[in-house]
Amino acid sequence: MLPLISIVLATLAAGTAATFVAGTRARYVALGVSAAFLAEVGLMFAAYPGWPGYNGALVPGFAEQESHAWLHLPWLQINYTVGVDGISLVLILLTAVLQLATVVYSWEERERPAAYFGLMLLTCFGSFGVFAALDILLFFLFWEAVLVPMFFLIGGWGGPRRRYAALKFFVYTHVASIVMLVGLLAIVFYSGATSFDFSAVYASARGLGVLPQSFLFLALLFGFGVKFPVVPFHTWLPDAHVEAPTGGSVLLAGILLKLGGYGLIRWAVEVLPQGFAHDRPILFAVAFLSIAWGSIVSLAQRDMKRLVAFSSINHMGIVLLAIAVGSSLGLLAAVLLMFAHGIVSGLLFMSAGTVHHTFGTRDLGALGGITPTTPVLSTMIMAGSLASLGLPALIGFPAEFTALLATWERLGYWVLLPLGILVVTAAFYLWMMQRVLFGPPRGIPPGAHDVSFSEGAGMGLLVAATVLFGILPSLLVNVIVSSPVKGFPGP
Amino acid sequence: MSVTDVLATGAEFAPVLIVLGSALLAFLLDVVGVRRLEAVGGVVVAGTGVAFLLVLADLGLGFLGPLRTIPAATVNAVPAAGASPLYAFTSFGLVFQALFLVAAFLVGLASLSRDSHEAGAPIFYGLLGLATVGMLLVAVASDLIFLLLAVEVTSLATYLLVGYTRRGARPLEAAMKFYIIGAASSTLSFFGASLLYGAYGTTNLYRIAAVAGGVGYPVLALLGYGFLIAGLAFKTTLVPFHAWAVDVYDGAPTDVSAFLAGGSKKVGVFAFFLVFLGPVLYVHPGAPGNPFSGGPIALGPIVQLTLAVLAVLTMTVGNVLALLQREMKRLLAYSSISQAGYILLGIAIGTSPALAGATFQALAHVLSKGAAFLVVAGVAGLGVGPLVDDWRGLGSRRPLTCAAFSLLLLSLAGVPLTIGFVSKFVLFSAAVEAQGYFVWLAVAGLLNSALSVFYYARILRAMYFEAPAGGDAGAPPLTSRLAAGGLGYGRAAAIAVATLAVVALGIYPQPVLGPIQAAATHFLGLGA
Repeated sequence: MLPLISIVLATLAAGTAATFVAGTRARYVALGVSAAFLAEVGLMFAAYPGWPGYNGALVPGFAEQESHAWLHLPWLQINYTVGVDGISLVLILLTAVLQLATVVYSWEERERPAAYFGLMLLTCFGSFGVFAALDILLFFLFWEAVLVPMFFLIGGWGGPRRRYAALKFFVYTHVASIVMLVGLLAIVFYSGATSFDFSAVYASARGLGVLPQSFLFLALLFGFGVKFPVVPFHTWLPDAHVEAPTGGSVLLAGILLKLGGYGLIRWAVEVLPQGFAHDRPILFAVAFLSIAWGSIVSLAQRDMKRLVAFSSINHMGIVLLAIAVGSSLGLLAAVLLMFAHGIVSGLLFMSAGTVHHTFGTRDLGALGGITPTTPVLSTMIMAGSLASLGLPALIGFPAEFTALLATWERLGYWVLLPLGILVVTAAFYLWMMQRVLFGPPRGIPPGAHDVSFSEGAGMGLLVAATVLFGILPSLLVNVIVSSPVKGFPGP
Repeated sequence: MSVTDVLATGAEFAPVLIVLGSALLAFLLDVVGVRRLEAVGGVVVAGTGVAFLLVLADLGLGFLGPLRTIPAATVNAVPAAGASPLYAFTSFGLVFQALFLVAAFLVGLASLSRDSHEAGAPIFYGLLGLATVGMLLVAVASDLIFLLLAVEVTSLATYLLVGYTRRGARPLEAAMKFYIIGAASSTLSFFGASLLYGAYGTTNLYRIAAVAGGVGYPVLALLGYGFLIAGLAFKTTLVPFHAWAVDVYDGAPTDVSAFLAGGSKKVGVFAFFLVFLGPVLYVHPGAPGNPFSGGPIALGPIVQLTLAVLAVLTMTVGNVLALLQREMKRLLAYSSISQAGYILLGIAIGTSPALAGATFQALAHVLSKGAAFLVVAGVAGLGVGPLVDDWRGLGSRRPLTCAAFSLLLLSLAGVPLTIGFVSKFVLFSAAVEAQGYFVWLAVAGLLNSALSVFYYARILRAMYFEAPAGGDAGAPPLTSRLAAGGLGYGRAAAIAVATLAVVALGIYPQPVLGPIQAAATHFLGLGA
């Protein structure tokens, strides 16, 4: 069988290198690499035993697994081990779709395009690696490999306060990843795992007592939580989003935040089930805080990017809640939510970028009635907002519905809190759309024109994904539920 | 001693002799009037290069084949009373010889690109060779006096190297300061050695171990070890014995700074290894057959705690002060101090994983910091000022140089896919593996490396995100004769080699780390 994951990594690595040196033709290389990436992910889906038809059987372990010795010292057994299961496959698909859409959207980038596209591809390379890595050190390497290109994307192509935002982003996430690394190493050394492989750590960590597990779980929660981001470690996110260039924002919200969610599921919840069970109250508290804080603060924003950024905190809070519920249904909801949020926030950030350079402002209070001038852009904003507030037949609906169902199943009437917030947010979105898209024209500069072809194509791709997976969520659900849920406590 | 013995000894000393010969040849060329930089420099660079290959061959076909561990019987047998061999070739010593030669080779190679009208090229290369000879001898010492004399050979040569240009007051001031401090620290070391001789009646490290196993630790011996630690701490720039280092690194010609930070500082590191770990195992508590575990005063824990405190202090103070620096060379100098703290961590822990980690960290530092200083020297030659702010916007004007410099800085910061990450990872994981309070040493180290990211990121920011004062047009022109041609071939080659090694060993460290681990295990077994 072909080592598909290594082939994808090689494609992305070689493609990134080629993009960096391609000069003004970088965008063609980037497009080719992105298309190849998506095709390879399609192959991975096709080869996955649980897809497309779900026959009720669980797929044990990981598909596409490869393992080679990397660094073997008497006390360190580090391997190049990669593999995917349903959870990582869905997030890999998200990475491939967003990469393609972002490259298309950024087609007209004129400022150092080779470096711009190269850094974007590098970010996706690292993210793919994070989702595919099954060895602690490998996971950490890819995790950090995402950090550096994003730092340069924000710092090199961002808005007026980009230096501050880039440095803040780097410092927050770097400190968090160090804590995460210490936590993962502590699991290895204190549990006496024979190697750094997921399977070895998974097997041996169960031998740890409840208290060590819960302590380590908290360390990992901090490490992954900053990336999520959960309140109160979220303050880097609005700054990074507002200052980042549009492509950077899309990857940041669409993929980078998912790294936190994925890491929490794979390396904390699955590896430390007792610690997870013990620390669930903390997870609930943090999740509710993030949901409430994110939505309330987003209501007060006038800058469209800040608004989407804070609503991201809200949505990722729901993801955390779904994880904390601790059931198969909750896990399904969390993964679906992450996929949905990735696509939808990407769409919204692209809209915000286009709004900014069409109207010269992202201040929603200053704009009104833009639909007659920019009908396509308005459609995109509309699609993104409706998907974000969970309209049926769009991707947001199955995700949020599952999340609420899972919460209800385990927590009863606590579900009213996220539900109430969802209703308020939905109302706010509708009111905003009504004013900005359909009200009397305001703040429209003369000569404003609708989206360019490439921008429209990039956003259209995401709208298509929103509709496709909104109508046929089973395409994703089957893959997720056919993976065994590793490590949930009790039924 | 039979003829074959002499020949065998000659073979083992061949690298030392070759470097010594090339150094003397450099001086000789000066006398006969050949002062061309390429000729004189080429001799010493070739000498160190050949010596490096010989050392690799001595280790057993370089890093391609299995490590040749020298039979323990020929090394760790406690010499009979009266007999006192001065040196012993251990595989660990050979690893350090290789490391020293890498430093000398890179600095020598880069210095081929200096301004050829500059006076004193033969002196520079001759002294570089002599300093290297001292370092190579340190790596094979088995006797305290031999060790300290070899350190002294290195020191004398480096005092002169700092001030050899005789141009301007700063190098002279630095040389003077270096000399006085160095002399004081040597005095401390020799005094400590004399106290140990008084206590044990021998200066051979293996015999000291044997005798101390019987009589324990009289106050005299404890004082002796205290003085030794202080003396070596000066050489290794440990806080609070570090203050001289910044002024010296700053005032010295930058290529010399590269050699001091990358190379000759590791002499003190190896001396620490030798005095506290190899033959005598003062520090490693769990070692089988440790003769001191039952003594009246357990020296191990005291030394261990002292070194641990010094290590944490060194990395913290170095990092915090580096944060405050505005000048590039001073920043690198403080970061160099903090890196010495990481290395010392390995000695304090004293297990073979930690020793391997510390050695690999030393190698990482030779490559990253040494080459970083070489870049700074080259860029200064292009007319860029000494401040970090003077580097603003250089990223787009000299993309390759700045890319290499960025990789070296990222390695110093411990960012993944560089050797600096692997070395810290191995070191800190060794600390966690040793458990006990060493876990907190790992945490201290990690926090410190997080802290260090700030000042390295500031340099990256200046290079890539900030425009030169007055905009691109207002940037001072790159003035030197090298402006058109770049850094010069020698310097560019040295930087490229170091940068490639930094990345290659960051991605696949096994071929080097494996032998280092084996050598470190063997070294720790010597005293058992």
